[in-house]
Amino acid sequence: MNYAGYPTIEIDAGKCTIPFACKKCLEVCPQAVFQTYGIKVEKGRETDPNEPGSYGLSVAYQDKCSGCDDCIEVCPEDAITITFPELEA
Amino acid sequence: MCWVCDLYGDPEIEDGRWFLNPENHSRHMYKIKRPDHKTAAYGTDPEAESGKAIGDIMAKRFEDPDEFEREVAEANAMKGGGPFQIGQVVPIQEAFKIAELSYPVASMHCICRYMCRGHEECNKDEYSCTGLGVGMLKWERWPERYKGGVHFMDPEEVKEWLTKWNKKGMVHTIMTFGGSFVGGLCNCDYPDCQIIRNRLDYGIETGCLKSHYVAKVDYDECNGCGVCVQRCQFGAIKFEVTQGKTNIDHMRCFGCGLCETGCPSKAIELKDRESMPGLKEMW
Repeated sequence: MNYAGYPTIEIDAGKCTIPFACKKCLEVCPQAVFQTYGIKVEKGRETDPNEPGSYGLSVAYQDKCSGCDDCIEVCPEDAITITFPELEA
Repeated sequence: MCWVCDLYGDPEIEDGRWFLNPENHSRHMYKIKRPDHKTAAYGTDPEAESGKAIGDIMAKRFEDPDEFEREVAEANAMKGGGPFQIGQVVPIQEAFKIAELSYPVASMHCICRYMCRGHEECNKDEYSCTGLGVGMLKWERWPERYKGGVHFMDPEEVKEWLTKWNKKGMVHTIMTFGGSFVGGLCNCDYPDCQIIRNRLDYGIETGCLKSHYVAKVDYDECNGCGVCVQRCQFGAIKFEVTQGKTNIDHMRCFGCGLCETGCPSKAIELKDRESMPGLKEMW
């Protein structure tokens, strides 16, 4: 397997505050690169997905990203940046 | 021979299938988890331990790809001796037998789809995973894991539920929660399901072993309709244009039987994996 060409995918947590309620990138990604997880747990239950900061978004499979940029297009907060390494000439 | 059956099966029961051995559904086995069993002791939460061990290996693919390959090979060679949960694909016929053997059986939301797609399953009509065995009786201790509750089912309801997900095109898989205790029966698809993805994309085998079967096409009966191609989650089936019929790659087939249950011409048969010399050590 060749992992040389995978990108760096950054999520600005200051902009992406309600990923579980929004879930646009999670649903649109053809390669299912993203994952969401609960952050705030109260009495064992995660809090309201619409409350900012209750869920986080992480990048789990950047090595499967093809660079189609659909996630960037659907993100209402412009929170995602994808940077592929420069190929040497 | 299937190495899990070798470890945990009883040759006298159900052809030695480990997951049809009542011992592996028993309260006793749930209690002992791993210590003193045929596998090493690994903490108190086998699910978390296994997830962490796989996460540690997966992180290596960015830091050191060669080391990653080495650790995957090592993990695969442990065959039950490490922290890794054992999982196996089962066709619906065997899932039905588990429905009769295990008690209680409770459906619940799927954590993989929840993480991967932000997909919520909020009631019994939506739940696509199950927890098996006595541990489920105290599910309320972990409300964050069983978000939205669970739904206890009798064997007939479990069969109806399995049939529903089978029609939709989901693969039935079982998984252990420490040692050989069969703690889960899920309905899985790619790429949402973590264990299928770990196996297909990264070669991590233990969580998603192949079933005891392999699907074989009867070319006299196949009319090339292509329904089976849509139902295969493992990329094992192609429409072979030259023959005008379906082609199942036995090497890629996991023996889930989705193609068999979906075939309108009854042209697909599940053959015993161990009856085929080229496949019998391929799990």
